[in-house]
Amino acid sequence: MIEELRKKAEELLKNGTVKVVFGYGEGSVPERTRPVFITKPEDVNKLTWNKYCVYNLTTYLKRQETRKLGKPALILKGCDARTIIVLLKECQIKREDVYIIGVTCDGVGDPLAEKCKACDVHTPLIYDDLVGEKRENKEVPFEERYAELDEYEKLEEKDKWEFWQKQFEKCIKCYACSNICPLCFCDRCIVEKNQPQWIDPSAHPRGNLSWNVTRAYHLAGRCINCEECQRVCPVDIPLNLLNKKLAKEAEKSFDYRPGYNIDDELAMSTYKEDDDEDFFK
Amino acid sequence: MSKKIGVFVCHCGTNISATVDVEKVAEEAKKNNPGVSYTTTYKYMCSDPGQKLLRDKIKEEGLDGVVVAACSPKMHEHTFRNASKKAGMNPYHVEISNLREQCSWVHPDKPTGTEKSVDLVRMMTEKTRKDKSLNPIKVPVTKRALVIGGGIAGIQAALDIADAGHEVIMVEREASIGGHMAQLSETFPTLDCSQCIMTPKMVELAQNENITLYTWSEIEAVDGYLGNFDVKIRKKARSVDLDLCTGCSSCWQVCPSKKIKSEFDMGLGKRTAIYIPFPQAIPSKPVLDREHCLLFKDARKKNIPPNDSKVCRKCLDICPIAPVKAIDYTQEDEIITEKIGAIVVATGYKELDDISMYGEYGGGKYKDVITGLQFERLASASGPSEGEIQRPSDGKVPEIIVFIQCVGSRDPAKGCSYCSKTCCMYTAKHTMLYKHKVHHGHAYVFYIDIRCPGKGYEEFSLRAIEEEGATYLRGRVSRVYKKGDKLVVLGADTLTGSVVEIEADMVVLASAMKAQDDAEKFAQKLSIQYDKDKFFSEIHPKLKPVESSSAGIFLAGTCQGPKDIPETVAQAGAAASKVLALLSADELEREPVVAKVDRLPAPIFSTCIGCFYCQRVCPYGAIESEDIKARDGSTIKTVARVNEGLCQGCGLCAATCRSKSVELAGFNDEQVYAEINSVEFN
Repeated sequence: MIEELRKKAEELLKNGTVKVVFGYGEGSVPERTRPVFITKPEDVNKLTWNKYCVYNLTTYLKRQETRKLGKPALILKGCDARTIIVLLKECQIKREDVYIIGVTCDGVGDPLAEKCKACDVHTPLIYDDLVGEKRENKEVPFEERYAELDEYEKLEEKDKWEFWQKQFEKCIKCYACSNICPLCFCDRCIVEKNQPQWIDPSAHPRGNLSWNVTRAYHLAGRCINCEECQRVCPVDIPLNLLNKKLAKEAEKSFDYRPGYNIDDELAMSTYKEDDDEDFFK
Repeated sequence: MSKKIGVFVCHCGTNISATVDVEKVAEEAKKNNPGVSYTTTYKYMCSDPGQKLLRDKIKEEGLDGVVVAACSPKMHEHTFRNASKKAGMNPYHVEISNLREQCSWVHPDKPTGTEKSVDLVRMMTEKTRKDKSLNPIKVPVTKRALVIGGGIAGIQAALDIADAGHEVIMVEREASIGGHMAQLSETFPTLDCSQCIMTPKMVELAQNENITLYTWSEIEAVDGYLGNFDVKIRKKARSVDLDLCTGCSSCWQVCPSKKIKSEFDMGLGKRTAIYIPFPQAIPSKPVLDREHCLLFKDARKKNIPPNDSKVCRKCLDICPIAPVKAIDYTQEDEIITEKIGAIVVATGYKELDDISMYGEYGGGKYKDVITGLQFERLASASGPSEGEIQRPSDGKVPEIIVFIQCVGSRDPAKGCSYCSKTCCMYTAKHTMLYKHKVHHGHAYVFYIDIRCPGKGYEEFSLRAIEEEGATYLRGRVSRVYKKGDKLVVLGADTLTGSVVEIEADMVVLASAMKAQDDAEKFAQKLSIQYDKDKFFSEIHPKLKPVESSSAGIFLAGTCQGPKDIPETVAQAGAAASKVLALLSADELEREPVVAKVDRLPAPIFSTCIGCFYCQRVCPYGAIESEDIKARDGSTIKTVARVNEGLCQGCGLCAATCRSKSVELAGFNDEQVYAEINSVEFN
């Protein structure tokens, strides 16, 4: 599979289809990989593929440094490819401006990442080329997909509040969560707006709460649960728990899951006259 | 420089002062708030002396910000802003603190009410501090009106506007103007001939130099906004060149397809494939019905261009116009665009013609069970029987005729829940017309209630009963069935408590007035609201009866709800006067409370990232996309832009924007932030 990936990358770079390939390379230790940006066909041997390829490379679509490299080909797992669908819906990329090398995937991480436990996109839903044996994407029941929330949802409201207050207390406002997020693509984040300063930038409990809640709200109905925010958080705030809870609510209320179908209307900006609106009765 | 703010607390009689200690509110407003330089209370701020007080104090105290603590801004924001404008202040430095609807009316207890009022006033004081001067947006006006629909409502509105000296474009989807009124025989309560009063108006419209008439045309799309609409009109292929045709009638006389049911005669008469709908049609020039024309039928069957078919070209051959004939089989739909300042919607109604849903009345089953409008055609001198009342089945003159009222109306189970308003009167008229033509005949009417509230209406319906001898039976009909060549009508007379059985020759159903079949779609095209019955909605049933929910679009006639002719004409005149008010100005002033997407210096250009969530949530279609270009013409960034003409200032875009790149003037981030902050920290 690695050979196939390298061959594909070499071909795309050689025939000029793309200027750069975003992929995974060997890390400093065997249990790690790191993102690599291959611009020359002779460098394709730097590409690798293994169970440590957890990152979502679509985040580099928003970075100026990587955008400058020209039209990219991205090596994307099924989960990562869902980001592409959201980005297309939100007018951030044009389909013809990215080349997708989809890879079929049985799960990443050691131990297996949380996101892989209820995976229903072993084969990406959108790609130009597929590497690896095509697999049938089996539907996973609603409860199973959100099993991660079971423990949390058992908590009393008061305890939930306490739980999050404790978690957010740890926040040092490093903004790694928003930097890594492929869907946090604003040029100027609301936290950077200082006239007025809606969100207190100091690492004070009040500002921490507004920052973390705002970040989660801004991802409601959009987050594809790649878990990157949680992975990069230096103080281990379970950010994806919050994301997942909002994803569950969005699915329950609007029967909508981001990144599955390019023809779906966006949950958070669609008005329907026949909406029974029973979620706020 | 910090502002000098004045706080004016209104008692509103006792509406506010009964549950709010207004003196204390005024006192607290000044406390710890150096910006507030003047406070007072007054019994009725909205009264003339109240407004004078405001104006005087602005001048005397040199105020540059005002908080009026009174009722809802919906009520008097405009009043106080106007007053401050007269005192030389920019009106957008006036804020209303709602102490009535949001405080005194909902809190029975005075200490709580007072405490909350103090907070509410402080919030608005803080907002006022951040208020910026705003100036009305000026929008140029295209001095041309569009009237959609050429019935009596449209004709009246068009004439009124044109007579005031403005250009009018009328679009009518049928081949002739006239609408339903042209179909009527005589009109209640005066029994004057409908055609006689209608046709002069039609001619007047056709001859008016200010009016451009497009018949056989439909509205394709309406874009733009108040004063500046872009309207696309589809001129359907008529197959006849209106400029060349003289209406000589040769073509429809030779047309061999003579058995097509005439829509104008409600299916009772026949017409040809190339035809004018009725003799007084305007324009008095034919249209070719491509569905029924032999040539087009043949062309469709063989799948060839119509001009290649040789089946029948009688109309073309006989057309005396030379050298170019007025008939053109190759004509295609044409779409034209017109710039329009204001629109009158007068699209009318549709009679409930699917009477087969009333099988118990024999609707759809028996030929001699007809609708009210069909009866009008029978009674009309220009109708299929030239005004003689004849049964459709065998042409016999009916000697006993039964009218059934409220067919479809007031019947929520099967038809519509509303009253169609005109049927009581037209049924009374029908019994008279019948009696005048068939002296020995007898008319029976089954009714639920007789509703005739109008000038001369009650007298008219009494005349039908007392002088013209119609028998009115209060009750419903349970069944109509055939017995020989008679229709037996079984019904109840609830006043005597007896069952009635009448052997009638003909039955007329007073069928309901309904919204046009495509009313819903059409309303969506124009972004105007409609009610559950698909009639277009006015903004306010009492005070804004002709204004639609979209600025610059007005309603006239039965598209808004069932009405009779006098009411329709009155409403059309009202709509026309609204249009004239708009067109009389060179520029329109609009509230400057509109949204704006930020623009910044390079290299950012705008913090907008172009996700266009704002565009998706905007109910007015006011968000456009704009490409910010580099000097070499390449696109740097695609961002959102607000069309100020369309924006109604609802603020949905501002609330949706994640990067806070959209701000609503008068409600900008700093103002809202100041309001919120003043509560939290005090």
